[in-house]
Amino acid sequence: MRAATTVPPTQHDSPESAGAPAHRPSGPPVVELRQIRKSFGDLEVLKGIDLQVHKGEHVVVFGPSGSGKSTVLRSINLLEPPTSGSLKVAGVEYGPGLPGEGDVKKGKPLDLRRSVGMVFQSFNLFPHLTALENVCLPLRSVRGVKRDEAEQRSADALRRVGLLPRAAHFPGQLSGGQQQRVAIARALTLDPEVLLFDEPTSALDPELVGEVLSTMREVAELGMTMVIVTHELGFAREIGDLNVFMEDGVVVETGPRGFFDECHNPRTQKFISAVL
Amino acid sequence: MSTLLSLPTAASQYDWGIVWDNRSMLLNGLLTALEVSFVALIISMVLGMGLALVRMGRAPFSWIAAIYINVFRGVPALVSVIWVYFGLALVLDISFSVFQAGVIALSLLYSAFLAEIFRSALNAIPKGQKEAGLALGMKPVRIFFSITLPQATKIALPNVGNMFIGMVKDTSTFTVIGLLEVVRVTQNLVAETFQPFVLYTAAAALYVFVAFVLDFLFRLAERTLDTPPNGALSRGLRGRKQRRIQALIDAQPPVRPSTAT
Ligand SMILES: Nc1ncnc2c1ncn2[C@@H]1O[C@H](COP(=O)(O)OP(=O)(O)O)[C@@H](O)[C@H]1O
Ligand SMILES: [Mg+2]
Repeated sequence: MRAATTVPPTQHDSPESAGAPAHRPSGPPVVELRQIRKSFGDLEVLKGIDLQVHKGEHVVVFGPSGSGKSTVLRSINLLEPPTSGSLKVAGVEYGPGLPGEGDVKKGKPLDLRRSVGMVFQSFNLFPHLTALENVCLPLRSVRGVKRDEAEQRSADALRRVGLLPRAAHFPGQLSGGQQQRVAIARALTLDPEVLLFDEPTSALDPELVGEVLSTMREVAELGMTMVIVTHELGFAREIGDLNVFMEDGVVVETGPRGFFDECHNPRTQKFISAVL
Repeated sequence: MSTLLSLPTAASQYDWGIVWDNRSMLLNGLLTALEVSFVALIISMVLGMGLALVRMGRAPFSWIAAIYINVFRGVPALVSVIWVYFGLALVLDISFSVFQAGVIALSLLYSAFLAEIFRSALNAIPKGQKEAGLALGMKPVRIFFSITLPQATKIALPNVGNMFIGMVKDTSTFTVIGLLEVVRVTQNLVAETFQPFVLYTAAAALYVFVAFVLDFLFRLAERTLDTPPNGALSRGLRGRKQRRIQALIDAQPPVRPSTAT
């Protein structure tokens, strides 16, 4: 867990220069956060977050509990609107913007959320609907897909996460792992530009973690752009194209693949060795 | 009327036969009570949901709703119906039929009760439900009708049933405006037969019977809304839906999950 000396000069950003990637995909980022700040009352939870997520990239965010990881994800789809800073998704500004950039035309939160999917720690399936209806409801009400077609597509989505035989089951009849896979199918069917995962396996019994991780792996292989908050550092090491370590509302250090063995910052190293 | 013979000594005599003899009048009274209550229940549910939403909303309006709720929860049905039937006629020169006045009087009170019931039911829905809807890009109105309301309805249902039973009993005070409900019918019969004990006991039995039946019906409704694995009954009632989904399952190609696009 020490910095290897033979690595190419990949950028390990210090807090001051965070968000200035060197070897990163080119082209406009799908998600771009610049100096995002968020306060709850007097408590400043995010203290200027910079992050770029490019198409097809799998970004892992990790760090101690309470460091603001969930708040970062929730500001990307405006479940928690940032107090200040710029939030751009697919080139459209949704945040308050940066001072000095003048009046930028803002996108509507509804449009933003229609291009950003989210998977929650506690699944948040709709308990009064079957697995199929859970996937179907947003397809019909958000995309306006007709019932028959929506059901076909939902069934197909459930088949992809291996849960077609459970289509008629209610969430209460499914294990936590199965519920989370339905939630992933529900988010995927809407074809988001980027899919956010907030500790998707933290609420699961240990023996159910694997099935959710392998579903996520399959989603990643399909080329989905993903931002994943997780404590599963083994999985993170394997899937993360960009790894972001957060503490106390700031990005302490970011790095590419191999980051977990090469990180420089002693706080990052300390956290990783405590978890792994 | 056979009971007329027993008039002189009636006070000391129990003649249960008069209940049977006058069954159609008593049952008509019950029907009237149920009709007034049912119409008022529908109105109160709509108003109560509206009040609950206003109460949970922005400041000046939420205060007004809170005041309304707290005042009308405390007003006796007797006073309410006197306000509506006599008061409005005096002050605003509006006159209602006794049926209308009864419905309005109950709706004024029970929309306040139901507002509180709906509010606590809505508050019982986990925050994550609405957030999931928002994150999926659903509009707030759609989230309310497709996600929040169905779940809240199930939570509120037993209490709504209790309110309905209370409404039926409260119609007994509408005898004051001359509504021909159970108590009014009973009073009329007592005046004829001098059998207050027998007749009021029969009236009470009718209320108890109705409470029993309504309780049963609302429990049944609650169970049909219950989702498996809890609702064995609902599983049966959902048969059609289950078959539809099963057909979809069967129609899907049996491909391995991962590699399909
Ligand atoms: N809605 C809220 N109101 C007040 N404080 C909040 C709220 N949400 C999060 N916080 C606080 O913000 C900090 C960061 O929270 P969070 O983003 O959930 O951290 P993490 O996901 O890294 O554990 C915590 O101190 C938490 O208590
Ligand atoms: Mg969190």
